[in-house]
Amino acid sequence: MVGKRTLCLAFVLSFLLTPLLAAVVPVVDMSLLGGVSYKPSTETVHQGTSMDLKISLPSPNSGNVRGEVVLKASYPDSSPTLEEVIHKAYLRARFPSFRLTAGKTRLSWGDGMLFNAGDVLYGSSSTSVSLTQAVLRDKTDWMAALNYPLGFFSFFETILIPSTSGRIEDAGFGFRFYTNVGETKVEAGFATTDAGVRKHKPYVSLQGNIGADWYLSSSVELDRQFTASTSDLLVTGGLFHSLYFPGDRTLTLRLEFLSRPLQSWAFKGQEDANCTFLLYPELVYTPTSSLSLSLRSILSPLDLSMNATVGASWSVFEGFSLVGFLSAPFGQSSDLFNWEGDQRIALGVGASWIY
Amino acid sequence: MSKPVVKLLLTLSLLCIIPSFLFALTGEEVIQKMDEMATFETSVSTGSIKTTDRFGTKISTFKAWARGASDSLIEFTSTAERGQKILRTQSSLYLFYPDAEELIRLQGAALRQSVLGSDLSYEDMTEEKNTLDSYTVVLEGSEIVNGHDCHVLTLTAKKRTVAYPVQKIWVDKQTYLVWKAEYSTAQKRLLKVMEVLSTVEVAGRTLPSETKIEDKMKRDSATWMTLDSLEVNVPLGANIFSLENLTW
Repeated sequence: MVGKRTLCLAFVLSFLLTPLLAAVVPVVDMSLLGGVSYKPSTETVHQGTSMDLKISLPSPNSGNVRGEVVLKASYPDSSPTLEEVIHKAYLRARFPSFRLTAGKTRLSWGDGMLFNAGDVLYGSSSTSVSLTQAVLRDKTDWMAALNYPLGFFSFFETILIPSTSGRIEDAGFGFRFYTNVGETKVEAGFATTDAGVRKHKPYVSLQGNIGADWYLSSSVELDRQFTASTSDLLVTGGLFHSLYFPGDRTLTLRLEFLSRPLQSWAFKGQEDANCTFLLYPELVYTPTSSLSLSLRSILSPLDLSMNATVGASWSVFEGFSLVGFLSAPFGQSSDLFNWEGDQRIALGVGASWIY
Repeated sequence: MSKPVVKLLLTLSLLCIIPSFLFALTGEEVIQKMDEMATFETSVSTGSIKTTDRFGTKISTFKAWARGASDSLIEFTSTAERGQKILRTQSSLYLFYPDAEELIRLQGAALRQSVLGSDLSYEDMTEEKNTLDSYTVVLEGSEIVNGHDCHVLTLTAKKRTVAYPVQKIWVDKQTYLVWKAEYSTAQKRLLKVMEVLSTVEVAGRTLPSETKIEDKMKRDSATWMTLDSLEVNVPLGANIFSLENLTW
């Protein structure tokens, strides 16, 4: 009942936020997935079906004010909250010297597909992520942001994150500076947030090319007294390169790392919140322009455990793709990835359609 | 034949031949003219990329803005990829994905990635029109293509960063339009063939309005790029080729 009410409210809100609805062309993104999973800890096999539905209502693509409402729902999640259903609801206004963004959306700070120390707003260090998705991190939040261009390829951005408790002292804010120095992109910024505990997070992020594209980010979490513990310094980085073969066959290689260098480097079981060292290798092979085969894995070298996902995606018709994956953790009981607890071996096939 | 007559004939022959040498264009001059004719101070266009394979046809539509030889911005307007943008400047190529609000800077080999699964790469879509910066040119001769008298030129890459190490192109002697191009590896292995199917007259110049690109390494696959509208030398905003506009 709560779910239906929430959905109704969300749709009413979307109409209110989109007064020019007649001129809006909605985009529906639907993903259906069926599969089986095996839970080694209980030696049980589960079968399930899931659906992710995303409806996007963008404003007309003209003028100095734009916006978008994106509603998301998942089956079998029967009671989503309004916060979960409204994935995005924002407006942008372009003034002569700056741009305002207000509402619920995302700002991508730093560089990195899975690991990104520069993502001080939402955090990109957790290993609790589905490696079957094209976009691994897409968390959104309420904000008001101002973007000041400082030339064609440089800008300064500030963000205000409203308090969720209603107390003004719990509000967060941040800023970043983005520019190019020679062939290297340089980005540096700071955010202070209060999700129960006040944290100050300065960061720096660099990106360039040495034959392969490279990126490197570092951040530190400081407490209210501007002190940090050994787990609070985070360094991430990566290399990305594409190899081309006759017939437009492509192999893309990505290797990312995450490190908390001040943590213990002893070979022992790791925990998601304070892992010392992780690797994310990714191979994507495209034998034809419509088919891609991928191997993605999160490796924890200090406890020799890993979570691997083999996937395939076939873009059959316009907007329509067939997908499949096999995912499995490997490791012992005290390791980051293991066959204990809730971790499962999963096999899934499905389809996605955008129209 | 008397000596004076021979002298006269030789003199007349030389007078006929010398101008043709004096006014014959070199390969570099042909390429310069070709680049000039394809480059406008500014342009705004709309069009589509149609890809066919065994399973049917996929169509992506776009709007594009260009300034001079190096700056271009492409925004996709079709449903599946709406709002995705490509910004090309002299030194870099940036992609913007609106779903993740993600700004990605591409350099090096990534420029050769296929755009939306078509036979076009990011490099093809946003190619700089300073051909002589990247290629050496040899004028091979003349051929008739689709009824048009064309210069035949072979371009060989000066640097490894270009998408195609060798290009053979057929350039119209009147309009300097490239009617046909063959793109090959350094070992002369044919990769793609481009043909202009129809043209449009804009500001006194002949430009391609429909182009077919075939990937010779793939069976049953071709890409058609069609321009639906093209305006040239129109005023563009000062910041149109900026990160601010890319992420707008």
